[in-house]
Amino acid sequence: MRHFVEELEDLQGRLLEMGTLVESAIHQSVQALEERSEELARQVLGNEDRINHLEIEIDELAVRLLALQQPMARDLRFLTAAIKINTDLERMGDLAVNIVERAMALIQRPAVKPSIDMPQMARTVESMVRKSLDAFVRREPELARSVLLADDTVDQLRDTIITELVSFMQDNPAKIPQGLDLILVARHLERIADHATNIAEDTLFLVKGVDVRHHLEPNF
Amino acid sequence: MALRHFSIELEELHALLLQMGELVESSIRRSVQSLVERDKELAKAVMRDEPRVNQMQVEIDSKTTRLLALNQPVARDLRFLTATLKINTDLERMGDLAVNIAERAIALLNLPAVKPLVDIPKMAALAQSMLLKSLEAFVRADADLAQSILPSDDEVDALKDSVYQELVELMQRDPVTIPAAVDLIFVARNLERIADHATNIAEDVIFLAKGIDVRHHMADQPK
Repeated sequence: MRHFVEELEDLQGRLLEMGTLVESAIHQSVQALEERSEELARQVLGNEDRINHLEIEIDELAVRLLALQQPMARDLRFLTAAIKINTDLERMGDLAVNIVERAMALIQRPAVKPSIDMPQMARTVESMVRKSLDAFVRREPELARSVLLADDTVDQLRDTIITELVSFMQDNPAKIPQGLDLILVARHLERIADHATNIAEDTLFLVKGVDVRHHLEPNF
Repeated sequence: MALRHFSIELEELHALLLQMGELVESSIRRSVQSLVERDKELAKAVMRDEPRVNQMQVEIDSKTTRLLALNQPVARDLRFLTATLKINTDLERMGDLAVNIAERAIALLNLPAVKPLVDIPKMAALAQSMLLKSLEAFVRADADLAQSILPSDDEVDALKDSVYQELVELMQRDPVTIPAAVDLIFVARNLERIADHATNIAEDVIFLAKGIDVRHHMADQPK
């Protein structure tokens, strides 16, 4: 059997490959929506299988390393973080597919006035995804923290977009289906941001050994 | 420090997970009840329970990680422990979704009721039963029980689609209802996602019991 360190590097490499695929799926899904491009939409759908296979591969590798290597402390934290991040990435890939499904539906109907906030939300979310993965790979807690802060911006943008779209639908009842599709896109983007936040939290746990989940959430 | 017997630790983990599952199930039930009965206090009670759910998640996670680290479990126990990490995440998300429903319930209090709610409570009842059965299947390692909940997910999806259609028609007939209808669409989607998380748990159980990965074999079906 190969050396444990090499196996861990292999695992990290595959997670990164998965991260890159998911990042590009998110980017293409938003582009498909903005450019009304069925071709881009189909590309995202075409990559879904690869992402799903990688998820299973990574899971199996991580579990095998847990079982055979009996890792301690930091390596154990890395493996448990890898299992979680893997799940987050796969869900993010699913959400990109959901955005593509909305894009396909929107392409079938007359175009509606583009919102300024939606592209801004998409850019913010894409940058969170990239930063969360970079923070994980480079073990940079400060970068991870910046992802947690950006999540609030995304939530605000989502609220603004939904309010905007609700009045748009009230003014244009014929365009309610489009308005709802766009609201769902905003929700999908918000959930992608939530998963990026999970990755950032797992990174902080990995680096510092401190569980930051829930500490940053507002109290009631 | 001497470790207690591993199987006792596993039993305790089972019990904690079930306890968390019951709490989350109760949050789902009460969130939908608060929506149907327009009961603000009940909605707030769901929100107040969220820190408890979160605390249980952290506790289960750290217990599981400790068992992984100190006991060097192999094969079946290892699969059980890694599944616990995943199921714990699913449960916490389900709790979050129940809180989202409670938040929608409160937002809807400021708007006139638009329609009697029939399908949404049906979705909730299905999702609650899926949650309880999937957890029971997990602690009993019962793949058949886990398998039996999978068709309910299709029922929940079908109900969500019909809620959506109905609300779109309502909005088009009467644009005044749009803000409330959008909130109700969110509630239906949150319930659908709760059912998806229960399905994740069931799939983990099937994997655990049979050692096969069913996750993406079902991905071909429309969601």
